[in-house]
Amino acid sequence: MRSWWIIGACLLVGLGVLPGQKPFFRVHPFPEEFRQVRINEMLQASSNYIWLGTTDGLFRFDGEVVLSVEFPQPGGPFSVTALYEDRQQTLWVGLESGAIYFMDHSGALQLWEIEEGHPAAAITAFGEDPAHQLWISTYGEGLYCWKGGRLYNFSREDGMSGEEIYDMGVDSFGQVWCGTDQGISLVRWKDGSKVVEQLSLDQGLPDEIVRFILTDGQCGIWVGMHDGGLCRINPRSHKVDFSLPDWDLGVVSALACFHNREVWIGTETNGLFRLDLKAMELEPLPLSQGRPTNKIYALLRDSEGGVWVAGNTPGFYSTNRQFEFVENSPGDIQSVLACPHGQVWIGTQKGLFLKPVLRDTFLSILPQLPLNVISLYEDTFQNIWIGTFGDGVYIYRHSDGKFSHIGEGRQLQNGSVLSMDGAGPTIWLATLGGVTEFILEGDPLDNGTIRSKSYGQESGLGTNFIYRVMVDSKGRTWFCTDGKGLSVLENGAITTYSHADSIPLKAVYSIAEDHMGQIWFSTPDRGLFKFDGQHFSTISLKEGIRNLSISGIATTARGQLLIVHPSGIDLLNPQTGHLIYFDQEVGIPDAEPNLNTLHADNSGNIWIGLPTGLIRFTSLGPQLRIHPETHLERVSAMLEPVNWWEKNEFSHEENFLVFEYVGIWLTDPESVTYRYQLDSWDRDWIYANDRRATYSALPPGRYTFRVSSTENGAFKDEPIVSYSFRILPPVWRRPWFILLAMAALSALFYGIVKNRDARIKRIEKLKQETIKSQYEALKSQINPHFLFNSFNTLVAFIEENPKLAVKYVERLSDFYRVILAYREKERIPLEEELQLVGDFGYLLNQRFGDNFSLSIQVTPNAGFVVPLALQMLVENAVKHNVVSKNKPLRIRIEQVDDDYLLVANNMQQKFTAEPSTGFGLTGIINRYALLTDRQVVVEQKEGEFRVRLPLLK
Amino acid sequence: MKEIIIFQTLSFMLSLFVLPGYLSGQQVFITNEGTLKFKSDAPLELIQAASTEMRGAISPSERTFAFSVPMASFQGFNSPLQREHFNENYMESNKFPDATFTGRIIEEVDLRQPGEYTIRTKGMLTIHGISQERIIKTNVLVEGTKCTISGTFTVLLADHAITIPKVVHQKIAEEIEVEVAATLRIKSN
Repeated sequence: MRSWWIIGACLLVGLGVLPGQKPFFRVHPFPEEFRQVRINEMLQASSNYIWLGTTDGLFRFDGEVVLSVEFPQPGGPFSVTALYEDRQQTLWVGLESGAIYFMDHSGALQLWEIEEGHPAAAITAFGEDPAHQLWISTYGEGLYCWKGGRLYNFSREDGMSGEEIYDMGVDSFGQVWCGTDQGISLVRWKDGSKVVEQLSLDQGLPDEIVRFILTDGQCGIWVGMHDGGLCRINPRSHKVDFSLPDWDLGVVSALACFHNREVWIGTETNGLFRLDLKAMELEPLPLSQGRPTNKIYALLRDSEGGVWVAGNTPGFYSTNRQFEFVENSPGDIQSVLACPHGQVWIGTQKGLFLKPVLRDTFLSILPQLPLNVISLYEDTFQNIWIGTFGDGVYIYRHSDGKFSHIGEGRQLQNGSVLSMDGAGPTIWLATLGGVTEFILEGDPLDNGTIRSKSYGQESGLGTNFIYRVMVDSKGRTWFCTDGKGLSVLENGAITTYSHADSIPLKAVYSIAEDHMGQIWFSTPDRGLFKFDGQHFSTISLKEGIRNLSISGIATTARGQLLIVHPSGIDLLNPQTGHLIYFDQEVGIPDAEPNLNTLHADNSGNIWIGLPTGLIRFTSLGPQLRIHPETHLERVSAMLEPVNWWEKNEFSHEENFLVFEYVGIWLTDPESVTYRYQLDSWDRDWIYANDRRATYSALPPGRYTFRVSSTENGAFKDEPIVSYSFRILPPVWRRPWFILLAMAALSALFYGIVKNRDARIKRIEKLKQETIKSQYEALKSQINPHFLFNSFNTLVAFIEENPKLAVKYVERLSDFYRVILAYREKERIPLEEELQLVGDFGYLLNQRFGDNFSLSIQVTPNAGFVVPLALQMLVENAVKHNVVSKNKPLRIRIEQVDDDYLLVANNMQQKFTAEPSTGFGLTGIINRYALLTDRQVVVEQKEGEFRVRLPLLK
Repeated sequence: MKEIIIFQTLSFMLSLFVLPGYLSGQQVFITNEGTLKFKSDAPLELIQAASTEMRGAISPSERTFAFSVPMASFQGFNSPLQREHFNENYMESNKFPDATFTGRIIEEVDLRQPGEYTIRTKGMLTIHGISQERIIKTNVLVEGTKCTISGTFTVLLADHAITIPKVVHQKIAEEIEVEVAATLRIKSN
């Protein structure tokens, strides 16, 4: 209600449009070849990049360079009409042709492939609802919603007021606000069906042509119209709860909002405006000198307190909203006072000036007096106290121009009043002759009396030169002295701190109290000190303060400490110690300010007087970004970019890696520096100014690359971006391979050993068997029975046939010689064995006569046999079988199948078996098994006992 | 609003199939033998079937259309048993004899003019008695009195309450690919 009244008042004075303090606009040119493009859309991504959608494609701006982004399809020009970043941080790009693209991880644009096809009308906006459904508005085909993998359309037949949607936004309730020529269609899903509601003139909308919709979570729904200016709609009640009457500034083409503070308004014909929501002040913000930017296409509020503007003049503009420059301000300011009701007072060598509420002119106050104003204060009666250099203090009431003067004298020890502060009726005056305390009893300009009390060296102050006085929230009074440190008056007693812990304090220039009750003060040579009541700590060049010649400090509405010095302004977070620098980039000139020329008003704004003029600092909320946003842009292996967002293993040959990163700090892009470290490679952080780190010949191992960026060179609490990866060892150095190889080697070794063992064992066994067989053979041959038989046979011959007897003995001796000769051998030629068997056969023939026959049918040199094998088999046959006239024994030795010897005899077993060692046949089989895989076959077939011996090679 | 559209479309269909000559002076493209093929590409089985009995009409002046195919007319399948299952168990063809798609052409095209068009149609796809709003992209070739349409789209069984036992998922895809091709001829009333 009150705001209406103010607007009414403004209109009455005839000022539809009111000027005030101006933001400082920087212009960012477009590259030469894109001079003619028009910016349709601007978006700040979470990466902090500014994306620019233009009539000739998409551009990315990092604060310094405008870069064109290529579209994957040939053709063009690609006129980008909508830009959006969803909650997965995917960038969506909508074109005038209706085509929709998104940006993949590598930063390349991809056509959005959907079964339903793309709209054939211009995409005007994107939005995402809390259920992560993507909404797309078009100019001509109504609204689309991507829901559950399918595209749905909302058109007139679904209840939309129109299908030409100028703009669309989704609020935090999931309601989709669409601006058409017939008002607003408010769309949502309810239990899977479409719900469309209309808001138009009947619902209080000032104009039915809705050109712009702002659904910024913190600001309510702001609507820009064709003729009706702008209005705000409550997202719950859908009621218009604010509108501007009698708008005549044309089509509203863009809006940007600072929560509860102000709305920036871009128009199609009259340029840029801003509406101060507290003062209800509408002021034009001229962007450029010369040709005016009267057509505004896009507005963007960034995360660092900046506003970006694109219009019909080349390039685009940015400003930091925190710093504004008061027009027409006198220069060389010595003192500033901002009153709660909006007046701003300025003291200079040339006098006192007043900037009335809602005016941008400065009125000279008390011009008749030669005032050299160095301090200002407003008492509880709204009188302005004017501290001068040498001429004492003046008390002035603006409403009737009445004033009084207190010169150097009984009440005031010294006429140079450097600083004033107070609480309630008490006013402290810091002078070059000590401190004076005034206690007001009634309005001093209406016969009230002033009691005064003086403090100087004699009262415990170290010196009479006092630069600054401050009353803190606990009622203590602090004095900044020249040369004798800091003094505080508490409960009537003065305590002087001449040392901050061990550091001697000399001059103290400036003082402020933060929101935690800590006292901050500045010294000319040692920087800034903090005193928490117990301890001092210091913040100096090392901690990032740029310049020690601090001329003033003050606490902002958000509890930061604003530090003014000749290099610009630093903003300090008293809790974290983080500093943000502001200087020419935001329009603050390099100039040596006067001491203590800043004043915090009761809205938390700080007014800063500089030699060049007056600056207003606004503490913007909610949280602004305080660091550059660091992110990894590219990782290349062997100079080839890799998809590092999913890949984290490299082969041992991909060990030449390049990391490209960037830290975006729009406030002052040039100030950004980096530090990086490759864990388990770099021992320390590497500080750098360029945006790439190169590593060559990295050995296999696990690594983490970390990088962070700072805008103030301090690297205190800057977030670190990291990328962990592995370089794999070559195959032959991987554990599994080594293990496998070792296993294979040991298996091989084991095999060899085992084989050798087995061979040795076999040889051993063979030897044993051979020895055994020799022994057996010998035993059998010299067995008494054999000898007895042989000698009996011999006796029979000796007399009858001495010749035959001689032959018999010769054969017998041959037989024994051969046995002796062969017993050592593993194998002997068949021929020799046959000779032996022949001898043996002869002996047997002589003994048994025709009752025994041995027939041999083999090729003599057919191979080898185990020595005595045949002999033993023949002997066995004789041993186990009856040899008689009726039952003659016939033994055959034949070669079968080329490589086998068959020893067969007809079976006629003795009833009384000869005692058997059981060795004969088994021994032969064993010995053959050691020499060959081919088996000795023993069988009884067709009345014969047959043994098949393999012929050895 | 929606009801009105559906009613209009239904009456439009009636006029096409039941009451020819009811509308006069309007040109419509109609067909009685459009082809509709579907394909279920499941891990264990590929099922394909087609109907050549799709009936449909497009009104170029109104930019509306209606298509309908009898479920029982699908031929193909891998076995007669499968076809029986399709009709009796899954589609319940006795209860829901036709699948229909009726709606409006999004693009402002004049299909009376010869030429080749890629259009998107927005309408209600009714299968198994369940209607779903769909946007289906279609290619249209208009030559003289002939209008040839072709397009593909997918149908999620779950969208149309066609429930299949979980074990059968390996044999029947949850997403069915559908291919439409038809030549419509102009008919003046």
